[in-house]
Amino acid sequence: MKRTHLILLSALASAGGCMDFGGYDEPIVLSQEVDDWRNEVIYQILVDRFDNGDPGNDFGVRGDDLARYQGGDWKGIENRLSYLQELGVTALWISPVVKNVDTDANFDGYHGYWSQNFEATNPHFGDLPALRSLVDAAHERDMKIVIDIVTNHVGQAFYYDMNLNGVPDITLEGNNDVGEFRHYTEYDPDFDPRGVQAFTSLGEAGPAPVVWQYDPATNHLPPQPALFSDPAIYNRKGRTVNFDDPDQLLHGDFPGGLKDIDTTRCDVKEQFVDIYAGWIEKTNADGFRIDTIKHVEYEFWRYFTQRVRTRLAEQGKTNFLMFGEIFDGRDDLIGSFTKNDVPDADTLQREQACVPDGQPLTGDQLDSAFYFSQHFQAVRGVFQDAGPTDQIRALWDQRAENWGTEAMENSTGLIPADAPINFLDNHDVARFLFWLRDRPDSERRALLHNALAFLFFAQGIPCLYYGTEQEFEGGNDPANRERMWDTGFDTSSETFLWTKRLIALRNEYPSLRRGGVQVAYSTSNTGDEPDAGILAFERAGGDAGGSYALAVFNTNQDHDSTTRNGDTAMTVLAPAGTELVDVFSEDRYTVGSDGTLDVTVGPVGRALLIPAAEYEPGI
Amino acid sequence: MALLFPGVAAAQPTADEPTVAPAASEPSEDAPRPTPSEPTVDPAEVEALQKRIEDLEARIDALATEEAPAPTPPAPVPPPPQDPGSALPTPPVESGSDGDADHNRPPNYADGFHFGSYGRVAIGTDAKGRPGRDGDIVARGSRIDESSYLELELRREDYWEKTGAYTRIVSTLAVAAPLFHQTGEFATNLGMRNLYIEESGLGSDRLRIWAGSRMYRGDDIYLLDFWPLDNLNTIGGGVSYTFLDDLTVKLHTGINQPQHPFFFQTSPRPLPLGQLGETQVAINDRQKFISSARISNIFPIGDGGGVKPVLYGEVHYTPAAQQETEVRQFQDLPLDTGFLLGTQLGFFTGNRSTHLNLVFRYAGGLAAYGEFNAPTQLGPDRSSSGAREVLAAASGNYEKGPFGLLFGSYWRLFRNASDGLDVDDLGEGIVILRPTVWIGDGGGVSVEGSYQAQRRGVLLNQDADPEPQFGQMGRVGIIPFLSPGGRGNYQRPHLRLFYLLSVRDEGAQRLYARDDVFSLRSIDHYVGLGAEWWFGSTSYFRD
Repeated sequence: MKRTHLILLSALASAGGCMDFGGYDEPIVLSQEVDDWRNEVIYQILVDRFDNGDPGNDFGVRGDDLARYQGGDWKGIENRLSYLQELGVTALWISPVVKNVDTDANFDGYHGYWSQNFEATNPHFGDLPALRSLVDAAHERDMKIVIDIVTNHVGQAFYYDMNLNGVPDITLEGNNDVGEFRHYTEYDPDFDPRGVQAFTSLGEAGPAPVVWQYDPATNHLPPQPALFSDPAIYNRKGRTVNFDDPDQLLHGDFPGGLKDIDTTRCDVKEQFVDIYAGWIEKTNADGFRIDTIKHVEYEFWRYFTQRVRTRLAEQGKTNFLMFGEIFDGRDDLIGSFTKNDVPDADTLQREQACVPDGQPLTGDQLDSAFYFSQHFQAVRGVFQDAGPTDQIRALWDQRAENWGTEAMENSTGLIPADAPINFLDNHDVARFLFWLRDRPDSERRALLHNALAFLFFAQGIPCLYYGTEQEFEGGNDPANRERMWDTGFDTSSETFLWTKRLIALRNEYPSLRRGGVQVAYSTSNTGDEPDAGILAFERAGGDAGGSYALAVFNTNQDHDSTTRNGDTAMTVLAPAGTELVDVFSEDRYTVGSDGTLDVTVGPVGRALLIPAAEYEPGI
Repeated sequence: MALLFPGVAAAQPTADEPTVAPAASEPSEDAPRPTPSEPTVDPAEVEALQKRIEDLEARIDALATEEAPAPTPPAPVPPPPQDPGSALPTPPVESGSDGDADHNRPPNYADGFHFGSYGRVAIGTDAKGRPGRDGDIVARGSRIDESSYLELELRREDYWEKTGAYTRIVSTLAVAAPLFHQTGEFATNLGMRNLYIEESGLGSDRLRIWAGSRMYRGDDIYLLDFWPLDNLNTIGGGVSYTFLDDLTVKLHTGINQPQHPFFFQTSPRPLPLGQLGETQVAINDRQKFISSARISNIFPIGDGGGVKPVLYGEVHYTPAAQQETEVRQFQDLPLDTGFLLGTQLGFFTGNRSTHLNLVFRYAGGLAAYGEFNAPTQLGPDRSSSGAREVLAAASGNYEKGPFGLLFGSYWRLFRNASDGLDVDDLGEGIVILRPTVWIGDGGGVSVEGSYQAQRRGVLLNQDADPEPQFGQMGRVGIIPFLSPGGRGNYQRPHLRLFYLLSVRDEGAQRLYARDDVFSLRSIDHYVGLGAEWWFGSTSYFRD
């Protein structure tokens, strides 16, 4: 009888789809999913733009306007993992997962960088089970998930009541007789090193009061958790207008009224560790991409990265990647956030006061960073604009010094200088093809393909912006944030197949993933010279075993170029007599007895030479 | 049967009603009847009176023949078979017993104009002086704290001698709170809940046909104000046919159009022919088509008791359409369907409305959302495919002497069409009991207790060990009442006082928005005064 009842109840529950959270109401066990991050290919996804897998969370979607939500979500990504797997990418960097200010000044927080509640999921993207499901589904395919995070600011949370009238103003004030006008917005006033000041008709009246916005319909609500609803944790100095001024850079609100958090406070540091380590503990994701790094003090990054690593490592997450965005062309500035520069003893002692358990702080910071200097100098300067390839050599030569050669404790083991995050473009810059919009399609595609080959052959971890493989060509934000599903996820297009092939080559040859780099040939020539536009670099050594690869690019867009100019010839590390095969043309080359090698490449072309003994045809 | 005097018909036993004298049926337990005595009238006098009556009838017929021949005057006729298992307030037929007053019996046909009504008025306060408010966390909770509501039914009934058909025209105007005396505003929420014609006996005594706008439903759970098996509101039509004595088949089809972009969306367009200005054009204008079938039978058991099994089904359909997502950008909406299958098993004793109803039903697709709701949380194909609801319910009434017990309960699982769980996915249930003691025939005291719980498809993700949202609420109340019509849980009208004590756990409080008093209070009080009545309304006397 009892058995009959159980069967009946079971049948009823099944028929109704009993409240089954798929195990996501159970505690999570963290797992280590990564062997070596240099083996990975990162794929950047703007969640709202990738695919709409759950129409149930399409709140306020405005498909006609790329500044508004489009409907993409975590379920949509999960549904397209097979597409991504076919392409060959192995790690997905997804938009920030937290709840945002929903809309502000007719722009939506679809990108995820307008945090309102650091502990809640963005309902446009799904709930926690949906996020966990995505992570689990990715792990089942040996793919990793990297979550984007922000610590510098929150969304448009408050206004400065500068004129003390109790309402937010955007106003132009002045007197025609005097001819002096004052144009200001209390949502986003210009930087004032004293803090934003209030004023009356009689003059200044001290610090402007902070007034929290309260509009549940647009999720303009005091930020959460509660610490972030305390005006004291914000710097309250107004909008950064001069990014070269350190005070503004670190303490100014991010343009758009994004309120800058005082990240030197112990309670803020500790809270952010709790929040973001908590997200990994809730999802088992594998890394952080960190926003607006240079707008936050070094001391914060020391505290944050070390405390997160320790906390996660104690739970078995030992190979956790943290890399950041330093949107700047200065290589030394970028590297300053990965280089283990131990601060002076007094500074360390002061910072140590924030550590509740007394664990000593060190100079460790980020594992890596986006290679913005390469983006400007190599991708744009050379592969797009055919500038001198010598500038790439010069840039790479600085990396060890600028980025550092020490891996962080409890970390990925990556040496920052060996693992820059390479990229062609991302959501903050116009797409590669946009700058070539006046060129014929065939030229644009050739240039893109050459740059893609550079992306996957250069030393570091490649990061591909979604839609590049579908030849997206949008200009600056938000035009560069197209809807991926409009492409139909075509896996037969020329650029998709090209990208897939490049990734396959990278996967085949360890030297392309983990080898060191040595520039074999570069030139300052960009004209009619025989070597104009040649960049050749070898990938060997490091952790690549005996694997070897020689990449030769002709970035010149007009004529064939070769690795020799008069008496100047390319000398390679491969021993004399070594036979090399170009994987693209299958032409064979032999290293000369003097160690030189002549390789001629057509305009906007490339060769990837692999020792014949290592060469694997058919890729 | 020819009737002697119009107006007496409603009180007369009919061919379809039990004609046994009350004393011959189950003895009444709380209203002793006079001892029957032998007739004392002389048979000769009776015979003379009968002859006189027949003469008078002959004169009446002659006078009627002299009048204009048309239209044929309606003639009262026996009402069709009753539906003894109906719960509210359709007591098993037991004419003459003290369980149900005459005005609680089904209205008969062919009486001309009729007026019927259901109404309730409730006014009260919590401990802070706020108005009383429905505090249930489940979809269908206790009826006692529901707001005021009124139905006014005006009905015309005619008999057509030429065809032998009976016509019933029903119009029911409903008024929802707030009432004028709450707000002082001349604004009323009105709805036409019924507007239809039903024909009986046209072509067959066993056939009924109706068309119009109609509440179309079966048995409810009174305490929860809930029709767990079938409750449709459509504009349409239907037929019913009674086989044998008690086997009835009802078929219905109807249409409605919820005012939701899923069914109806307009967009502005320039006026045609070069005119200036705009007009609204219906881009999406699809209706929902609902058909239902219901088979019920009554198996008599004993004297007035029986078992009533019911099989019930619905089919829902809406055609493919388009929505405009942005100006002149269109999105396809696929055709959508749904179905519902359900069954009910009713037991009744035939005495004092004592009964037990058990209901189970499963609904899928469009039907899972109910007939008036637009589906939300759609599937990837923008349809309701995958949505489902499972419901099991039990209700009943028991009365003995001065005691009575009403109870109701249901358990329900609902999953919307979107993949994965979300806040709209839920499982919920309630058990409610209302024991009553009648003090004399004019009133009594009821005590009501209920427990309700609800789980939602969201996790509370404040930490790495998330818990599903789960809320519970318990409630007890005391309801002293006056019942001028006498005893009986389905006897109305009532004048009542009530006090309710509700206890919510943290999960129940989380269901309410911040600063809502229900989110702040774990204990809530509600003291109120109310009235409830029903009489003569077809909405509550199903036949």
